[in-house]
Amino acid sequence: MKRIIFLVVVIAFIQNINAQNPDFTGYLRNYSGMLLGNGSTDFIILQNTFNLNIEKRFDNSAFKVNPMIYHYMSDSLYFRLREAYMDLYFDNFDIRVGKQQIVWGKADGVFITDIVSPKDLFEFLLPEFDEIRRGVIGLKLDYYIGNSTLELVWLPVFTPTNLPGENSAWAVKPSFPLPPSFAYSKQEVKASLENSELFLKYSTISENIDFELMGGYMWDDDPTLFSSVSIDSATGNTKLTIIPEHNRLTVAGGSFSMPVGPFIFRGEGAYYWGKYFNTVNPALNRGVIQKDYIHYMLGLDFTLFDIYLSTQFVQRVIMNYEDIIRPTVLFKGETNNMMTFLASYSMMNETLTLELFSYYDFEYSNALIRPRILYDYSDSINLQFGANIFTGTEGLFGQYDKNDMIYGRIIYSF
Amino acid sequence: MKTIKLAGLLILALVVSNLKVFPQEITGLQIIENVYNRPVGEDMTADLTMTLINSSGNERVRKIKQFSRDFGDVEKKIMFFVSPADVKNTSFMNWSYDEEGKDDDQWIYLPALKKTKRISSDSKGDYFMGSDFTYDDLGDRKPSDDTHKLLREEKINGEDCYVVESIPKDPDYMYSKTVTWVIKDKWIGLKKEFYDEDGVLLKILHVKDYKKINGFWIIVDTEMENVQKDHKTVMELRNIKIDTGISDSKFTERMMTRGI
Repeated sequence: MKRIIFLVVVIAFIQNINAQNPDFTGYLRNYSGMLLGNGSTDFIILQNTFNLNIEKRFDNSAFKVNPMIYHYMSDSLYFRLREAYMDLYFDNFDIRVGKQQIVWGKADGVFITDIVSPKDLFEFLLPEFDEIRRGVIGLKLDYYIGNSTLELVWLPVFTPTNLPGENSAWAVKPSFPLPPSFAYSKQEVKASLENSELFLKYSTISENIDFELMGGYMWDDDPTLFSSVSIDSATGNTKLTIIPEHNRLTVAGGSFSMPVGPFIFRGEGAYYWGKYFNTVNPALNRGVIQKDYIHYMLGLDFTLFDIYLSTQFVQRVIMNYEDIIRPTVLFKGETNNMMTFLASYSMMNETLTLELFSYYDFEYSNALIRPRILYDYSDSINLQFGANIFTGTEGLFGQYDKNDMIYGRIIYSF
Repeated sequence: MKTIKLAGLLILALVVSNLKVFPQEITGLQIIENVYNRPVGEDMTADLTMTLINSSGNERVRKIKQFSRDFGDVEKKIMFFVSPADVKNTSFMNWSYDEEGKDDDQWIYLPALKKTKRISSDSKGDYFMGSDFTYDDLGDRKPSDDTHKLLREEKINGEDCYVVESIPKDPDYMYSKTVTWVIKDKWIGLKKEFYDEDGVLLKILHVKDYKKINGFWIIVDTEMENVQKDHKTVMELRNIKIDTGISDSKFTERMMTRGI
């Protein structure tokens, strides 16, 4: 009987949805990636993706549901509900409630003030940027004053960074002085009022400059790896336990974008108070130290000989740096300097695009170089062929030196 | 004496013929200014369909909903892309200023990235959505940007036209010259030829249809043909509404992100 009632409810819902004629858009994508070099030609990615957007706009409200299914070569499925929200529109303000992706800032491919939605790093930084962001569950209120917006975001449920699994080619393997064991009991942040995250942003667009000012009282999306050192009573050996735990962060920052002659000059920066960094001594202060941290970017976009060019200089600085801080894939010392570079050229009435995007990290002299060809076979079908080349042997990109790959994608949009 | 009389007659004939051709001694600049200043209402809403046709006859179709309003010293336009599917909900906003030398402000909202990006108006020579129209072709080029010369009068498509040659003052501009056929009594550019930097014919714009809506002459169907690439774009405006009182709040980032 319950099944019948459930079926009736589902059928009634679908009929109701159909009667209101929501828009169904999205894409089907076949994505195959093959390793290059190191004597390997293994397929690193064999993936089919189905992305569906169900949307409906009314005069004073709207809704959107965006399920996404990844099908892998092992015949396994990975389901993501990227967004599921409702909008309410008023004269001077809008409210969005539900699971949503929130994007802030003016930087491209670098996350500085764009920290409301955490990252899904299941395939490192290789997916399209909209796939890298995770939806967050909460309420967003936008209050409009002319071309300015005051945005308040309240997230009662904390969503952390999604890291690749241990067996993934993109797994990050931090080094420890001893083989550790992990205790995950403190990693979860329970949904409660006191555990909420709050973000506030003021933004404006105008004739001469667009800018944003933001602040956040949040959880660090990446867990801090606290240490516990003890002596094993049975063997007498020193035992290291790693306890991942999320910590509160207070962040303030801003960004701008302005035309200067033929250039668009962009900048973005954020100051983080009391971010935890691991130290080289796991026995001291649980193996961590708290430091303020600055992350900023200056960028320039322009067109030269019909080629769109965009470059960014990105710097991270650990304030009041101490030598006890353990080096990571980003930091050898107190700063990390990085550049990004994009060149894009379209031809054949924008049916064929040649693109090159790259990150270069000065700290470990390592890079990710991403050439790509995109071809619109028709209005619905886009073909892509590209490569991901990791240079260097250490650092954020060099750690994946063995993952150089070529790939092909067929995308059917509807 | 006979020679003097003959010369006098020739001069008279030339004067008369000139009077016949250019009876009001209108200049090329005045004609282009009349086209530029032709009233088209204060605001407009329309559905735009662009059909891109390549040399093999294959067609690609782009659909856009657009809103524009002249606020006096600034003209604002916002476009929402309806199809194809991969650009749906993308929006583009342009603020164009009357002030001499002041560049347009332009933004694009990319729904996949959920980001409004300011883009450089220096890329006016870029082609719009893969069509044969550049951003500059779609906008109102200021008459003072070119030097204009009235070449002749000519009848095309049954309309009496002035034929005006316009040469850009900026030698680095993407066209070396344009030639426009302007309908005398309506101040509509019925046909326009675009010449590339080497002075070779590049594109021809044909106005296929125009209508009087709310008392204003509005161009509704155009075709731009790139004769060098054998590619053309047909542009059709439908559901045109003039002077409905579009508010300033339509031309904001809020509307770009919300869509239609």
